[in-house]
Amino acid sequence: MPIVLLKNVIKSYTRGKQRVEVLHKLDLTVESGEFLALMGPSGSGKTTLLNLIGGLDKPDMGEVTVAGERLDQLSGSALAHWRARHVGFVFQFYNLLPVLSAERNVEVPLLLTRLSRAQRRRNVAAALALVGLSDRASHKPAELSGGQQQRVAIARAIIADPTLLVCDEPTGDLDRENAEEILNLLQLLNQQHGKTVVMVTHDPRAAAHASRRLYVDKGTLSSEEARSAA
Amino acid sequence: MKYLGLIWAALRRKPARTLLTAFSIVTAFFLLGSLQGINAGIAQVEKLLDVPQLLVMSRVRMDAPLPLAQLARIRTVAGVTAVTPMNALVGLYKSPTNVMVVVGVDIGQMLKIAKDMKVAPEQLAAMQRTRTGVIVGETIMKERGWKVGDRIPLSALSINGIGGTKTDGTSNWVFDIVGTYTVPLADWATRIFANYDYINDALASGQNQVLGYYVGIADPARSAQISQAIDNLFANSSDQTRTQNIKDFMNSVLDQVGNINFLVNGIVGAVLFTLLFLTANTMSQSVRERINELAVLKTLGFTDARVQWLVLAEALVLSLAAAVVGLFLAGRALPWVTNSAALQSQGIGAMHVPPSVFGYGLGVAVLLALISGLPPARRARRLAIVTALSGR
Repeated sequence: MPIVLLKNVIKSYTRGKQRVEVLHKLDLTVESGEFLALMGPSGSGKTTLLNLIGGLDKPDMGEVTVAGERLDQLSGSALAHWRARHVGFVFQFYNLLPVLSAERNVEVPLLLTRLSRAQRRRNVAAALALVGLSDRASHKPAELSGGQQQRVAIARAIIADPTLLVCDEPTGDLDRENAEEILNLLQLLNQQHGKTVVMVTHDPRAAAHASRRLYVDKGTLSSEEARSAA
Repeated sequence: MKYLGLIWAALRRKPARTLLTAFSIVTAFFLLGSLQGINAGIAQVEKLLDVPQLLVMSRVRMDAPLPLAQLARIRTVAGVTAVTPMNALVGLYKSPTNVMVVVGVDIGQMLKIAKDMKVAPEQLAAMQRTRTGVIVGETIMKERGWKVGDRIPLSALSINGIGGTKTDGTSNWVFDIVGTYTVPLADWATRIFANYDYINDALASGQNQVLGYYVGIADPARSAQISQAIDNLFANSSDQTRTQNIKDFMNSVLDQVGNINFLVNGIVGAVLFTLLFLTANTMSQSVRERINELAVLKTLGFTDARVQWLVLAEALVLSLAAAVVGLFLAGRALPWVTNSAALQSQGIGAMHVPPSVFGYGLGVAVLLALISGLPPARRARRLAIVTALSGR
């Protein structure tokens, strides 16, 4: 059953006086439980595609259906509520709130729920334990290594138990060893916790952890096989 | 309440900036509380002085003495119910900085004039039979820790504006506390009343002179006519008088300072106007620095309205917390600052910041936060996630 369904999606940006079409009549289907890697050169439209899937942006034309909801038809606040329930985000530069400790960072998405403070604390502890950072719960981001910060970001992404994890170059700012740990963690979440993962990367070694790889180039998608054949 | 952590964290982001802004707000609200408290105190004085009581003083200048001989003639004016001569002994109590004022009156007449002053009958009798006796306001009794039977030694600086030397050649005066008096406004029982005759008879020079007369009248509506009638008695003498009801007298003193209400509102308005820009600048700067973080909050599911509210709440917390501190400090400082011997001798007790000023101050703080916080809050609301996260 597809969790992500994009049909005939067109997205363009205006840069100065120029209108640049980033995605051109793009179709995409991602099955529930899949680990999809989106690859491609810089400026190919990978992040734009990821933003559409994560409900951070809307297409100019076409349909974007994620977790059964037509995102292109939702209002801004409905989209915000949808994101809170269905998507976890992992960014290249972690995007943690610098003044909050690791546990308070992880707790932020739960502030939007009706959970009690005690329940929130329990869930945060469980998420930090899952990413192996229970002992660093009270540390601020500046006191953590890059790999640890990314693990906090993953704990934050999964804390509200979303169906979909959207990761934009999650290992782009990490060394090989830390990158491998993060990728293994994403794989664990995909395989053992049933999370669907859509990851943008231009690192083939990172992409190798995914169950499927697609290439974005000049606003269109192609599979590994199609690229090999070409 | 669950967002308080986020709000607090945002304020702690740049502690020095937050503290400096908070300090400015504290100072402004301290000023607002104090000045409005003084304003309210003056209004209280006017209300309290709205009594059928006249004050006769020299027309030449306020502290010029008048002859005691005028007393009998003032009594003859129609509508006058009681008259007491008044002299004022300014002296030092125990230390050179501890100034006290003792007002010499005919206590029996004084109680007929100032009807809200209450003295126990036996204490009044004790006062009338003890030449050195004093009736002390309850507030001063508590403040000084005195009790009936205590003795107050004073080193006189002046009596009625001239030297306070006694016939024995010294300036040392001793008074015995024989009773206390109360007034409806408890804090304002601040005067010390002695027997006029004791002070007058013991003076080496300037005997049979008064600083003024307190006059009781039956009909407050006739105070202007009675005042005129008293002044007419001495119009062609070398000791011309100026008679006013107490309220007018106090207003004329205050008028010398200027339109206090206008001054207070002007100063407070100017301070708050400046503060508005300062707080708005702080909030705008804070939001500018957190564009990425606000975008992350939106990414995580915070709606535009919620992010706007968070920024506004930051301004509210900062403004309200600092205003509470400022008003609290004003509430503590004002009674201390206004607790002066000069005011006490006029029966004016320490001024307080009334609850209405606290309410008004908090209202102003909310308004300040809304006006200064709204532009950055709207900017946060309009923030597009994709643009903000890409740093464009």
